Amino acid sequence: MMGYFSMMFLYFDPGLGAMLVQAIVAAAAGIVLFSKNFMYKVKSFFGLTKSQKDGIDTMDFEQDEKQPNEEQGS
Amino acid sequence: MKSKAHRHQASFRDPSGYIVQDGSSFKRVINPIYFPVYDALCKADFFAPLFKAKMLIPHVEQERSDQSIILLPEQIELMTYPYEWSFEQYKQAALLTLKLQNYALDRDFSLKDASAYNVTFHRGKPIFIDTLSFDLYQKDSPWRAYKQFIGHFLAPLVLAHYHGAEALKMMQTHIDGIPAALAASMLPGRSKLSPTLYTNIHLMAKMEAKHKDEYTPKSRSIKLSKKSLRNLLRSLYDYINKLELKEQTEWGDYYNKTNYQPQSFDFKKQQIQKWIRSRAARKIIDLGGNDGTFARAILQDIDLAVVADIDHNAVASNYAQVKANKEVNMLPLWFDVAQPSPALGWANKERDSILSRLQVWGPEAVLALAVIHHITLSGNIPFEDSARFFAGLSSVLVIEFPKRDDSWVASLLERKREFINHFDHYNLQEFEQAYMRYFTIEEKVEIPGSQRVLYLMQTRE
Repeated sequence: MMGYFSMMFLYFDPGLGAMLVQAIVAAAAGIVLFSKNFMYKVKSFFGLTKSQKDGIDTMDFEQDEKQPNEEQGS
Repeated sequence: MKSKAHRHQASFRDPSGYIVQDGSSFKRVINPIYFPVYDALCKADFFAPLFKAKMLIPHVEQERSDQSIILLPEQIELMTYPYEWSFEQYKQAALLTLKLQNYALDRDFSLKDASAYNVTFHRGKPIFIDTLSFDLYQKDSPWRAYKQFIGHFLAPLVLAHYHGAEALKMMQTHIDGIPAALAASMLPGRSKLSPTLYTNIHLMAKMEAKHKDEYTPKSRSIKLSKKSLRNLLRSLYDYINKLELKEQTEWGDYYNKTNYQPQSFDFKKQQIQKWIRSRAARKIIDLGGNDGTFARAILQDIDLAVVADIDHNAVASNYAQVKANKEVNMLPLWFDVAQPSPALGWANKERDSILSRLQVWGPEAVLALAVIHHITLSGNIPFEDSARFFAGLSSVLVIEFPKRDDSWVASLLERKREFINHFDHYNLQEFEQAYMRYFTIEEKVEIPGSQRVLYLMQTRE
């Protein structure tokens, strides 16, 4: 197992700057997501939210799984 | 592995395993170093839901020994690379990568790389093809592929958003992704007002410059909670999902701009269908195929139609139709006949040129409809050279020749101004003469109501 991880380390350099910056990126992302959520709640409280946009994608896997297999045959 | 199998150069970077070509099929060999992760993935039933959702290329385990595990994946007909995708295709590939990382995190795994070359288009959809990219998630560790994701996906997409789809072609000169510093220098100042762009690109470029000479000291561990990592992924996902190309014009009615007379259009369509059926060609490439209108007209007879065009809008419109119609046998390709994607990377073998990929795939017919005047008059490519080029791709060629009186040809000739006499060779006789060095003309018909002639040609011997 140790051998595996030391090899992974050599695989490619993830970049120290890029590893460090993630904490800041994630914090900023957290604030943006929080405020978006907050605004959404405020808007829906006043009945200002639009109905779901057409087929908006989400990152969550479960949603995809439920889609029926409706592809055309070739 | 059997001695006849040979290792493909695209896979040397990852010590976890490699790809071999065994006869006509590609296989993935797993090295013992990756066995613990592979076994953990199998035990967690990680793969099956992804196969079902068509997010990861399905495979079966074929052989297992102490030295190697051999996987036989579902075969990809024709690999396309990031610089051959339209903006929307590129965007869907980025979203797929983030979805997979999110899925992996749910199950305590993580993508150890996020290269755009890990995705290709298969049966109408982007699909992840590097089965060995998944690693065990280590608690509170940042995403080691984050920098790669930014360079391979966010940077090219954002540059395309601000500067047009041509920016995606930068991936040809930056096989390891577009460096954050370069992306930052090309973005307008107002991009700093976007929290996503400020942090992921501008700040990243600064941090990289600051720490470029340091290596990670063992004592210093950088921590990032899983929740924070998810926020990072979600914000990238939301941002990319909304990203659009400014230049994008209205789709759907694209073909209306190319004013065909309805009867000429139908005649051409029926003639092509008849010829393709007569040759039983089930793998075709349409060069200069616009938004795929003609290939689509004969799609029910085809296993895979690759439709290549130089015009990004046409490729984008084609992909929009593939998505809307859920077509599985149409592959839009952004491709300039006069400058096909070259071989790239280590020893020029890491990424094959589009021509060698096409040769391996082996199209059974080439369609070159109303494209010869562009090749000859805009590209200044002599008839004999274009004939040799087409003959090298397939033994069957369906080619449409617009005569000098065609309005398009006339306007291309007029643009030659004082050099117009240098293009006197653009006529039916010289065209046939040059093409007959490589082909025999099997059939030839004038398209009614037009100044165009349609040929069915077959390579000599």
